Amino acid sequence: MKTSLKRGIRIGFVTGFIFIFLMVIGFTAVGTTMIGNLLGTLDNIGADARLPVINLLVLICIFGVITGINISGKNEDHNWLEIFVGGLSAGLIGGIFIAAAIWGIGSLHMQGVDFRTYLPKLTPDELPYLLFYSTPSAAATAYLMYFFIMTVATALLKRTLSIGNWMAKLSNRANLGVKKLTTKISFKNFFSSKLTIVILLIMVGVALYFLPLVWGSYWNYIMGTVAIYILLGLGLNIAVGFSGQLVLGYAAFFAIGAYTFAILTAPEPHGIELNIWLATLISIGTSTLAGLLLGLPILNLRGDYLAIVTLGFGEIIRILIKSDLLTSLTNGPNGITNVGQPSWLGKVFTDVNYVHLLMLLVLVGLFIAKRLKDSRTGRAWIAIREDQTVAQATGINTFRYKILALLLGAAFAGLAGALFASRNQFAGPEDFTLMVSINALCIVIVGGMGSLPGIILGAFVLKGIPELLRELEDYRLLVFGALLVVMMILRPSGLWPAGKKTSSSPDSDAIIQDKGELEA
Amino acid sequence: MNRPTIHARGVCKRFGGLSAVNDVDLTVAEHSISSIIGPNGAGKTTLFNCVSGFYSPEEGEIHFLGQPIQGLPTHKICKMGIARTYQNIRLFSQMTAIENVLVGQHPRMCTSWFESIIRNKRCCEEEHDAHRKALELLAFVGLAGLEDTPAHNLPYGAQRRLEIARALASEPKLLLLDEPTAGMNSQETAEMTDFIRKLRDSRDITILLIEHDMRVVMNISDQVTVLDYGLKIAEGKPAEIQSNQRVIEAYLGPGASALSKKFREKKTAYAA
Repeated sequence: MKTSLKRGIRIGFVTGFIFIFLMVIGFTAVGTTMIGNLLGTLDNIGADARLPVINLLVLICIFGVITGINISGKNEDHNWLEIFVGGLSAGLIGGIFIAAAIWGIGSLHMQGVDFRTYLPKLTPDELPYLLFYSTPSAAATAYLMYFFIMTVATALLKRTLSIGNWMAKLSNRANLGVKKLTTKISFKNFFSSKLTIVILLIMVGVALYFLPLVWGSYWNYIMGTVAIYILLGLGLNIAVGFSGQLVLGYAAFFAIGAYTFAILTAPEPHGIELNIWLATLISIGTSTLAGLLLGLPILNLRGDYLAIVTLGFGEIIRILIKSDLLTSLTNGPNGITNVGQPSWLGKVFTDVNYVHLLMLLVLVGLFIAKRLKDSRTGRAWIAIREDQTVAQATGINTFRYKILALLLGAAFAGLAGALFASRNQFAGPEDFTLMVSINALCIVIVGGMGSLPGIILGAFVLKGIPELLRELEDYRLLVFGALLVVMMILRPSGLWPAGKKTSSSPDSDAIIQDKGELEA
Repeated sequence: MNRPTIHARGVCKRFGGLSAVNDVDLTVAEHSISSIIGPNGAGKTTLFNCVSGFYSPEEGEIHFLGQPIQGLPTHKICKMGIARTYQNIRLFSQMTAIENVLVGQHPRMCTSWFESIIRNKRCCEEEHDAHRKALELLAFVGLAGLEDTPAHNLPYGAQRRLEIARALASEPKLLLLDEPTAGMNSQETAEMTDFIRKLRDSRDITILLIEHDMRVVMNISDQVTVLDYGLKIAEGKPAEIQSNQRVIEAYLGPGASALSKKFREKKTAYAA
């Protein structure tokens, strides 16, 4: 009783605060426009250029629903009274909170206060909409009523349907079912399962081949970026995910690859205009060499120290490229334009060919990474990541393997750099900032350290979702950041963690064991 | 045959002003089980670390099968044939049991990274052999069926045995065990004692161990070395050590020897 009251007050307070925050930064307008798009009520604008009030009400109701869902926790079985008290308090607190803010803002607005000095989004056009084009007190009452009613109703409705229990049961059963299915397939119908896998692979391959043809150039561009970042992630994963060496200046290798390719193939400033494929190989070579030169002196460092040194390396390379010293070689801050495009038998690649090429290279990269992971080398890397001292005492030449990891990582980055430069037909120093290194590292961490499917997923999430969120315009990064925070709370070891056994929850394992014992 | 597995002379290791190991000689005969005992902080583990290459001794020489090893990096020493376990278990905890043993076989394999990408014939054969050997080793230490369990999910005793399996995987000639029975109950300790003896007899290796459990030490050792404050104070057969005055004093303090003498006299009188 007391706990549910507390919980209700806390949740009401938090949701109310979030709502006010979004209102103050002007997100409500974007939100309501999106709701309008979904519901199709946008046509109502027009005559007097007023946004329909109903959308704002829907937004409030959505917040009420979210609050209501949160009243009953995940695993707890609450009785009716507790739910009711929780919903009541949350709805009341949140509603009063929002209403007070609206009333305050509204009455100040009525008195002619201009908020734009501090809050540029609260324009005189926007404010009447937030007030439902009526008086502050009426608007405040409306906010309070809708929020309160929706919260209590949802909390009670959720209890009636007991969605929480139902979902938990369902997911448990699904886990069990999948387990049974997989064991059945893998033991009894081994050949047929192999056949299914082959058929599935062919289907995916065909889909991958035809998708770029129908996507259109915008999506091809985005998928190209995603693919380049997958390559970067795969490379960094060898250094960070497998061997555990925290390399922060990874963009440096990317830049070296891109610039080598650009210098060798662009007409300006040197006019070498080498064969594209040869230039790609040389790009891989130079970035690998850079990896060697960086790695030899510093790989004896561990952890934080290594991170700082590599961070410095990344910035040094970028600044060097921009500097007067190398302007004759790299064109300085202007960058190199007209970088060579890939061609085959005299035909220049279209964007579709290009995506196909990238897909192929991603597959090759995945293949290499997978083979390495399951080998003597991969085991040595993971042992170094787990405990370097013991790994060495187990007979692993840790220095050699760390260098190898860095070199292979740098090689991947060099390839990605060459592809990046040739696709953009441009290489400039601002493409290789610290953010690139951080993005690549995020891909590895968000996907799950050392996990290969995780890299692909991570690249799509980190490079694909921001594109999908373009709808949100200014709030893109805000929402994206929130998504990342939520994701790291829900799945702290990554979207697709490495390892076979760790992916399934221990509970379902226990259930399986119990069942097995019963049957035996 | 008479060549000792370990022959150390005048080993010194200091940390700042503290001489953790001071002028210690140690000879371990081939195919024997030798123990190092001593009170806490006597320098047992430091001596171990000197032999396995974790520390390089400031003075003295350590010869392994006639070759000097002091100052070599640990992976070279491992490759020469010295493997060890740790006082507080240090497995690769995120890896499965079989992967731990496979890592142990690292110095005895030769596939390069490029060969493992293209998977040539040698790589496949070696990998196949390594898996077979790993399974054998796991069965040998009694972990058959647990090969796919992550190491950190194994029970304590199993982790100890897995650590030994990982050490054995590098085909050592000398196995260093740092308190193999720490934290075990009497039955587990008895099993471990039998296991160590079986290890020596069936695998033809020399074993050097640190142990606090005197029953284990006196039971299986061919030779016991006693350290105190970094100095070697006694060496010999278990029976000799048991009656050594300096050892008793080191463990129980000065005056204890008189006490124990009195006790023994009383006991003999009682018996008579």
